[in-house]
Amino acid sequence: MLKTFYEGGMGLTTEKQAVVFDFGNEYTKVGYAGEPAPRSILPTELRCPETGRIQRVFDAVTFDEKYDLLVEFIHTLYFRHLLVSPKDRRVIIVESVLCPTTLRNMLAKIFFMHFEVSSLLFVPSHVVSLSTLGVNTALVVDMGATETVVIPVFENVAVLHAWQAQPLGSFAVKRQITDMLKKYESPELFRTRDCVIPATRVKVEKTEPQEASETSAEAGVPEGYEELEEREEDFNYITEKHIEDIKVRTCFVTSLARVQKAEEGNPCPPPPNVDYLIGRSSRIVNISGEIRENAYNVLFEQDGDHISVPTMILDAISKCPVDMRKPLAENVLLIGGTAMATGMRARICEELKSLVVSPQYCDKLKVRTFKFHTPPAKENFAAWLGAAIYGASDIVSTRSLSKEAYLRDHQVPDWVSLIHNVFHDGTKRSL
Amino acid sequence: MSYLSKSDIVKYACTCGQLKSITNMYFCRHCLKLRCGYCVCHEVDSHYCSNCLEILPSAEARLKKNRCQTCFDCPNCLNTLAVRGTTVSVRDPDDPSKVNSQKKYYHACFFCRWTTRDAGLPDQAVQTVSANGWTHKETNSSNVQRVTVLLERARLLGTLERHEREQREKKFTPRSRRTFTHLPGVTSAHVRKRAGLPPELPAPSTIKDTLAEFQPAVAKESVNPLPEEIFTKAVNLFEITTMPQRLAQPEIQPVFCVDLLPAYKHLSTKRSQRCRECEHNVSKPELNPSSTKFKIQQAAYFHVPEVRLVTAGALIGGKDTEVVLLFSNPSQHPTTLSFISLREAEEEEGNKQTEDTSDLADQQGEAASSLSSLTKPAVVLEEPRPISIKVTGNVELPSPDAEITLPPKDDAAEYDYSGETHKSHNDPKWVMHRRANKAAVSFTVTPETGFTGKRCVIGFVLRYTYINRIPSPGSFDQKPQEVRLDTRLFVDCGKICSK
Ligand SMILES: Nc1ncnc2c1ncn2[C@@H]1O[C@H](COP(=O)(O)OP(=O)(O)O)[C@@H](O)[C@H]1O
Ligand SMILES: [Mg+2]
Ligand SMILES: [Zn+2]
Ligand SMILES: [Zn+2]
Ligand SMILES: [Zn+2]
Ligand SMILES: [Zn+2]
Repeated sequence: MLKTFYEGGMGLTTEKQAVVFDFGNEYTKVGYAGEPAPRSILPTELRCPETGRIQRVFDAVTFDEKYDLLVEFIHTLYFRHLLVSPKDRRVIIVESVLCPTTLRNMLAKIFFMHFEVSSLLFVPSHVVSLSTLGVNTALVVDMGATETVVIPVFENVAVLHAWQAQPLGSFAVKRQITDMLKKYESPELFRTRDCVIPATRVKVEKTEPQEASETSAEAGVPEGYEELEEREEDFNYITEKHIEDIKVRTCFVTSLARVQKAEEGNPCPPPPNVDYLIGRSSRIVNISGEIRENAYNVLFEQDGDHISVPTMILDAISKCPVDMRKPLAENVLLIGGTAMATGMRARICEELKSLVVSPQYCDKLKVRTFKFHTPPAKENFAAWLGAAIYGASDIVSTRSLSKEAYLRDHQVPDWVSLIHNVFHDGTKRSL
Repeated sequence: MSYLSKSDIVKYACTCGQLKSITNMYFCRHCLKLRCGYCVCHEVDSHYCSNCLEILPSAEARLKKNRCQTCFDCPNCLNTLAVRGTTVSVRDPDDPSKVNSQKKYYHACFFCRWTTRDAGLPDQAVQTVSANGWTHKETNSSNVQRVTVLLERARLLGTLERHEREQREKKFTPRSRRTFTHLPGVTSAHVRKRAGLPPELPAPSTIKDTLAEFQPAVAKESVNPLPEEIFTKAVNLFEITTMPQRLAQPEIQPVFCVDLLPAYKHLSTKRSQRCRECEHNVSKPELNPSSTKFKIQQAAYFHVPEVRLVTAGALIGGKDTEVVLLFSNPSQHPTTLSFISLREAEEEEGNKQTEDTSDLADQQGEAASSLSSLTKPAVVLEEPRPISIKVTGNVELPSPDAEITLPPKDDAAEYDYSGETHKSHNDPKWVMHRRANKAAVSFTVTPETGFTGKRCVIGFVLRYTYINRIPSPGSFDQKPQEVRLDTRLFVDCGKICSK
């Protein structure tokens, strides 16, 4: 066991605990630095007081709209979940590599100008996730709501030229469930606007990952969806929340062997169907075994461009220098809520093993074993926990952007993001 | 009173640019400005449990992670659990033939009928349950232990980094500070403190030794396979938790309902609001959780004249129509009202600002401004927003120097049911009638063409006199002063029709 140097009052105990935010596209995790779990995980959305409609914070189109929604949302986080005054308290924000600079600047303005926090630190989700393990090298696979992002981290430095991002997240699965249900259920069930799952697109630009996703999430409502006048009526239709519930409670990731059998033309008997009740009238929607078993397969299909989650992992490894490949393959860290689906780990493991010996990769890659890490957290808050551990150290005082500095220059200098700049056994590393 | 809670017809522009109804705004009596929930500083005053109404001091609330130690939430439907008592028969341990009855308690939800027995939790012998008996089911204590170790490692790494940074900086530190230690009675810790440096760090070698003991996580090749029975076993949705149920317990996020555990109830807060410019409270509730009263409540509703829409004629694009607004004076002093168009007010404001800035540069000079910045931290405010509403109707206002005076609010007059409305003889003709502290004023409105089917919104500036009873700091003049204040108003007169 490690001895505690801090017990003797190093001054850290008197300082107010920093607040750690991980604003996910679908779920936001919020809590205090130094704690083993977030205080709350909640949907990143608000109910509009006038229309009663649920609005996703990151679906906002204009700058002002997004700014206002974020202010309102963060206000709720402080006063309903954290129960502290935001003023003069440190803040740590977990940011994705895909996070556009505009969003970072907006968050800085909100936290400094509206909430008057004392300092702000942006930490890259992939790199800090490693502090949940205590290792310096890992291949981090973040399977979130809108996308899956793979980034190799070698000796605490993200190997940025090897990163992979694809819109293969839970939204893709939800869209699959909706499409499959539409085949069997009457179309009027899907009439509401709430059933539309935002389309996502990740523009992959290898050179400048920071700017890459300015257009990553695009919400649009296709033609033909009517705005329903009466709220009550909505209960009789399938909404996106229903799809989410169906996905979480009935679907699972099936095994590779069964998929291969189905491809060969002799499928195994499907798992039992589930009767799912919707609305006041308790309308029964039949969730067939086929949907339950195959919805997640969208993440593994190598259609058109031959890209699936496992190929992303292998591509990321093969983009790295040869001497890094083995350590990376033997330190795979799966994070993000989508990785929590039943059977996900097993399937990724199977796919990787079968892909590396396939003609597609057997010459390119010589690694044959893959090892998986288990962080002391649930996957969906692993990045948050990484920041909470990291943020409990002196780093918050030495690396944060202070209020004074922000008020002087009104901008977020690049060094505030630790993406190029993480501690490593005491040596500062810069790329 | 119902209009108090909901009125979007008349909107006031706050100092920060937000449009709110008067009932949702504050009036800072020190700055003499309107404030709203968006532009005041919110602070947590006290923590309390909304179920048992116990107040927890902030330090204790922090230790308890903002949870009540005696109340529990239902993990199934997230409402509050209630304690239930039952009598159970227990065989006497000494005499097996005898049966004793014993009082036992468990927790149940009155909303969804979930009970602690569903989770397989033992009944309690005492009514005020301590959750000790329940924690044994938690499976994540090994995670917590591991996180503690990881935290320690991160702290050491951080310290090590700071050490190196200081080492690097030491080269440039003036010699004098380091050599103080030779003086009797002065320790290095003392010197560091006086120099404003954090206390001395443990030697890097010790840290490195400690770090060497750390065991990094080890990745495994084997993963849990998908359970075979998933392909054959029927699914009972009542046995599988929903996302809200999982997220209500972030540490464990149970997948099966049998693993749900009662959760300590989240505390609620009482909040106060502070003006960000002068740091005075504009609202402060009483401490007692069951009280709905305030120690300080500077609602705009008590200070700023209130405007209501009485009638509006047919609104047709390009055609004049009459709109009647009712003005009432909520204060204890008479107030004089006049009206200015939005454009004139803007021009006035522009002139004033250029004057102000030149004044500042001329008179105060640099010394004064640097002094004030020393005594008080700079006020941090977002720049005011441009008004987000579109004005779709022209309003013809009486000339800016035409005024009407409203008498103070008289509580007794509220109960005068004579229904008498009168018109004072010297009132201009646009004043329709008056009663006590209220006056109805008629305006001519012309909805703009091309907005058929849209709302007709008019905007103007209401200038009113206000008696300031708070002496400005530094002045010895204690007498209340009459000031003129402006507020921008936007009235939604109704839908513009085609004919
Ligand atoms: N405990 C859980 N069990 C099953 N699925 C989960 C769980 N937590 C999260 N998920 C799923 O993971 C998806 C992504 O979650 P998350 O990684 O938190 O999203 P993001 O960070 O992109 O907002 C969600 O759509 C959700 O359905
Ligand atoms: Mg995420
Ligand atoms: Zn305001
Ligand atoms: Zn309580
Ligand atoms: Zn319940
Ligand atoms: Zn003020």
